[in-house]
Amino acid sequence: MSDPSSINGGSVVAMVGKDCVAIGCDMRLGMQALTVSNDFPKIFQFNNAFLGLTGLATDVITLSEVFRYKVNLYNLREERKIEPETFANLVSSSLYEKRFGPYFVGPVVAGINSKSGHPYICGFDLIGCINFAKDFVVGGTSSEQLFGMCESLWEPDLEPDDLFETISQALLNAQDRDAMSGWGAIVYIITKDKVVKRLLKTRQD
Amino acid sequence: MPGFNFDNYQRNNFLASKGYPIPKATSTGTTIVGCRFDGGVVIAADTRATEGDIVADKNCEKLHRISPTIWCAGAGTAADCEFVTQLMSSTLELHALSTGRKPRVVTCLTLLKQHLFKYQGHVGAYLIVAGVDPTGPRLFSIHAHGSTDVGYYLSLGSGSMAAMAVLETKWKQSLTKDEAMSLCAEAIEAGIWNDLGSGSNVDMCVMEVDKPAVLYRNYRTPNERSIKEKSYKFARGTTAVLKEKIRPVVDAVQFDIFEETIIRDSDKMEIDS
Amino acid sequence: MYSEPYIDPASAHAAAAPIEHRFNPYSDNGGTILAIAGSDFAVLAGDTRHTTGYSINSRFQPKVHTLPCDPPILVSANGYSADGDTLVRRLGQRVQWYSYNHNKAISVAACARLIQTMLYGKRFFPYYVHTIVAGLDEEGRGAVYSFDPVGSYEREQCRAGGAAASLIMPFLDNQVNLKNQYDVQTGEPKTAVYLSLDDTIKLVKDAFSSATERHIHVGDHLEIKIITKEGVKVEYFPLKRD
Repeated sequence: MSDPSSINGGSVVAMVGKDCVAIGCDMRLGMQALTVSNDFPKIFQFNNAFLGLTGLATDVITLSEVFRYKVNLYNLREERKIEPETFANLVSSSLYEKRFGPYFVGPVVAGINSKSGHPYICGFDLIGCINFAKDFVVGGTSSEQLFGMCESLWEPDLEPDDLFETISQALLNAQDRDAMSGWGAIVYIITKDKVVKRLLKTRQD
Repeated sequence: MPGFNFDNYQRNNFLASKGYPIPKATSTGTTIVGCRFDGGVVIAADTRATEGDIVADKNCEKLHRISPTIWCAGAGTAADCEFVTQLMSSTLELHALSTGRKPRVVTCLTLLKQHLFKYQGHVGAYLIVAGVDPTGPRLFSIHAHGSTDVGYYLSLGSGSMAAMAVLETKWKQSLTKDEAMSLCAEAIEAGIWNDLGSGSNVDMCVMEVDKPAVLYRNYRTPNERSIKEKSYKFARGTTAVLKEKIRPVVDAVQFDIFEETIIRDSDKMEIDS
Repeated sequence: MYSEPYIDPASAHAAAAPIEHRFNPYSDNGGTILAIAGSDFAVLAGDTRHTTGYSINSRFQPKVHTLPCDPPILVSANGYSADGDTLVRRLGQRVQWYSYNHNKAISVAACARLIQTMLYGKRFFPYYVHTIVAGLDEEGRGAVYSFDPVGSYEREQCRAGGAAASLIMPFLDNQVNLKNQYDVQTGEPKTAVYLSLDDTIKLVKDAFSSATERHIHVGDHLEIKIITKEGVKVEYFPLKRD
């Protein structure tokens, strides 16, 4: 409880389905046990990549701006959109640059490669070690609960609509067992040409 | 490593002084081994990455390619192993290009130990470096403070005692390639079963003289998850939704401006001329 | 492993302060337990791995106990196993004495209250355990009681305790109490119904195999004790050993 990455609370989860990926987050912003806001989404889009950022809220905001800047520069230099794999390496090296004075975050990247059509998800630790996963990745204060939920609920090759139910139930029930997460939830279902963003009905305590 | 950035260092120390200590990075409780044989060298690793008591990655890659014939197995802080290895890879390639010679394992070893010593153990990489070069097969280990060891068989990580127990009982001089491979796999398996920091699969890399190195990703998979008793698929519509928004992946508005700037329309371009 | 102690730069140069050495009477032996109450049965399950740190002390150290009374009561105290074993042994003695003194078997509710007093009796040097009791109540329905280390307790439908409790508990909320699930036809929140014994066993096995995947202190074997009006039945299943 007493480390910088669990002052503000919050959690994210990403999952792979059949030709689709999903990423979801809670909406809480707190100061220790006091909830300050219920409108603090933690997922940011950078071209083809979706970034979920949990941890110390000041670092979540700072990093989301840093990546906006870096991805804009990438667009100008390369004259193309950034792919999830490339973006993941950008996140990794940006975090490792601050090896001895890290940002207190637990990022998660999800997206579909626009060239190959392959779903891609990965997670990171606070100094940028990439966790490539075929199934799901989690981050934030309810990561243990999310691990338990995802490990039980997830199965391979879920269609977008089924993946939505699975990731939503995983997120909702995990955050209900974490005092630092909750107060609303957002889930993105990403297919090759379409993004569906849904605001979920959740407990408000 | 062109250099680290210490911008947040003071802030983080202040936070630490207020009772918010810096969280632990993924420290890979690991078993890694290396073993020489006649005409080559083999290294192996387990594939579990942990964050505290939780398994963060069940099938991570702890075997890193430094050059096509020099590979290294990493224990300790996962990010440090990854990046220090990438740094060596690029430095060694440039060095090979400028000298016009094939990179040597000792060169890699010296580069690594100088780098790690410079950071006084704060770059938490514990490595087994192995490879073949013009001087033959080579096998070394390096600790985070910069000390190095040479050996015919080595082990490192939280499962090193379990692995070394196997190596010490079964190793003999002049092993064949197959003997060395199964010895290493058995040593890693000892770590997988008996050390809680290690688990899942065995990865292996074999480097032979005058042959390309071969990576055996998941050489052994003794920990396949059994099929679940039940499927937990939900009926569609089980989750309550308040709002829904559908749009294309890349925001059209965002890229209209961008795409305009790269139009190369010959008719329009020739107005001035 | 290989973690170096954090040295505060401000105090590093200060004169060496006196170091106080203390005996730590507790340790953590890992493991996880789980109980679910049904309409006419209750199950109490636990893995059989016994650990300290990164080492496995035993792959088969069962920790779900049957109290010497009739009808039987299942109890498991997970956490620091020396405390857990002691608590269960002393509880067994108290339960036997109860039958001698009152000439009747103890009920689950009375047993739960007894455990509360035993735990609170060590309020300032607690048994370092998460205790769960399962049995049949006086109407023959399944009953599960869970306790914190100092005796605060509650009767529940289901409860997970120990190392992987945080992994399993939300899964139980979702699959036993059907939390966050809405009826597709009516749009109303689903209400929990009693699970059959067969489905309960399946749920328990999946909960433990999932916990084994992600928690390093859980594994080796799963022991499930099932209590019905016929008595106690024990089943063992293999879990992953890595």
